[in-house]
Amino acid sequence: MTPVFKLHKIIKRYGQREVLHIEEINIHGQKICAILGPNGSGKTTLMRIMGLLTRNDTGTVNILGEDIHWGKEQLLKLRRQMTMVTQTSFMFEGNVYDNVAYGLKIRRMPERGIRAAVEKSLELLGMSAFIAADARNLSGGERQKVAIARALAVEPRVLFLDEPTANIDPQSAVEIERHVRFINRELGTTIILVTHNLFQARRLADEVFFMWDGKMVERGSAKDIFEQPQDERTRSFLSGETVF
Amino acid sequence: MDIIIQGLKEGLMLVWSMDPKIIQITLVSLQVSLSALLIAACLGIPLGAALALKEVPGRRLFLNITYTFMGLPPVLAGLIVYLVLTTRGPLGQFQLLFTPTAMICAQILLAFPIICGLTARTVMAQRQEVYDTAVTLGASRRQAAWAIIRESRMGIIAALTTALGRLVAEVGAVMLVGGNIEGSTRVLTTSIVLETRMGEDSRAIGIGIILLVISFSIIVLINLLEKRSFKNDAGIQIT
Repeated sequence: MTPVFKLHKIIKRYGQREVLHIEEINIHGQKICAILGPNGSGKTTLMRIMGLLTRNDTGTVNILGEDIHWGKEQLLKLRRQMTMVTQTSFMFEGNVYDNVAYGLKIRRMPERGIRAAVEKSLELLGMSAFIAADARNLSGGERQKVAIARALAVEPRVLFLDEPTANIDPQSAVEIERHVRFINRELGTTIILVTHNLFQARRLADEVFFMWDGKMVERGSAKDIFEQPQDERTRSFLSGETVF
Repeated sequence: MDIIIQGLKEGLMLVWSMDPKIIQITLVSLQVSLSALLIAACLGIPLGAALALKEVPGRRLFLNITYTFMGLPPVLAGLIVYLVLTTRGPLGQFQLLFTPTAMICAQILLAFPIICGLTARTVMAQRQEVYDTAVTLGASRRQAAWAIIRESRMGIIAALTTALGRLVAEVGAVMLVGGNIEGSTRVLTTSIVLETRMGEDSRAIGIGIILLVISFSIIVLINLLEKRSFKNDAGIQIT
């Protein structure tokens, strides 16, 4: 089975500083993969490269079987199969419907189809009652659920979640995790979860990639990483020691 | 104080009387300022947005020049247009000096940097966040750029209202290139100067009232065109 993401010898620098140096990553579809690591370990940069938002300096990226050459048409085609939800999701001015419909409108879907898809997505996230609400007046948890509904409305093959519950209360976080699991199991969407929340990664992930200082120091099943970490840095991070 | 109150009374009477001369001056004012605003907006909004969105050589320099010209003294703008349109100037053959067209040109010079500079600023303020969101939802570069401009519309409206405020209140440039000719290039601001010099204080106050009402009406109209700006004009809650 072809991996959804295949990254080889990826290096990314900001100025003189090397922020990412990945030898090899293969991620197969329909899983929940957590990219774990402390702040500044390169998690978000890696996710942005995989999401085709940031260009790598060296190395090759292969997504859904295509080698990335950063051409306009290829970018658009592949980006339309992936969506992203960040920790402070931006809401376009307008109501919840306008926001969830955005991705469908730019794909020039007929209005009737848009309404049906928006209603379905909002229902899935338990947000149907908010369809006419001003998107910028929602609470943090509601906003994240709308952002996930907006991402799901376009039926992506890959959903990136960058610290999706970092700024919301525990109850909303639990709810969002439940939705994430459902999206993966029932819709077959590959989920790339970037987090430094160990408990969340343990609850959700099938596979864990542990990053430290721009490098991938360990990868494995969630069970193996959390119960028998091999690398000293992973062990320290998981045990909450302050060696970092 | 009595002079001011008396002036206000007489000024209101003047407005109420619908003096044909005042109406004519008001119409010239509107024609000049709104034409200048429209042309400056047609040039300034796309250019400001493009400068904010695209990395082109000389972009920073152009933006710095634009920001500098935002504070261009009106009389200097008038002088520049005067030198270009005077009979010995490069466009002298068109004989535009002391016509409403010359006044419109001078006012474009004043409004363009404000509209272009403020549009660039407002687009720059949110480009990455909006761009990332749009693109990750499948927008093409063009669609994402449009989303950024759409999300910046509050700032663009603010740029338009700021420019309009400067145009309707401006006297130096229109006086210099228009000449304050009765029935042709006399506008509200130059009339106020003239009436004050002639000791017709109440008439000057009346024209001033008309000027204020026009400014207020146009700004309300622009805001009504974008209903949401009123909604978001609610103040910050400080407790």
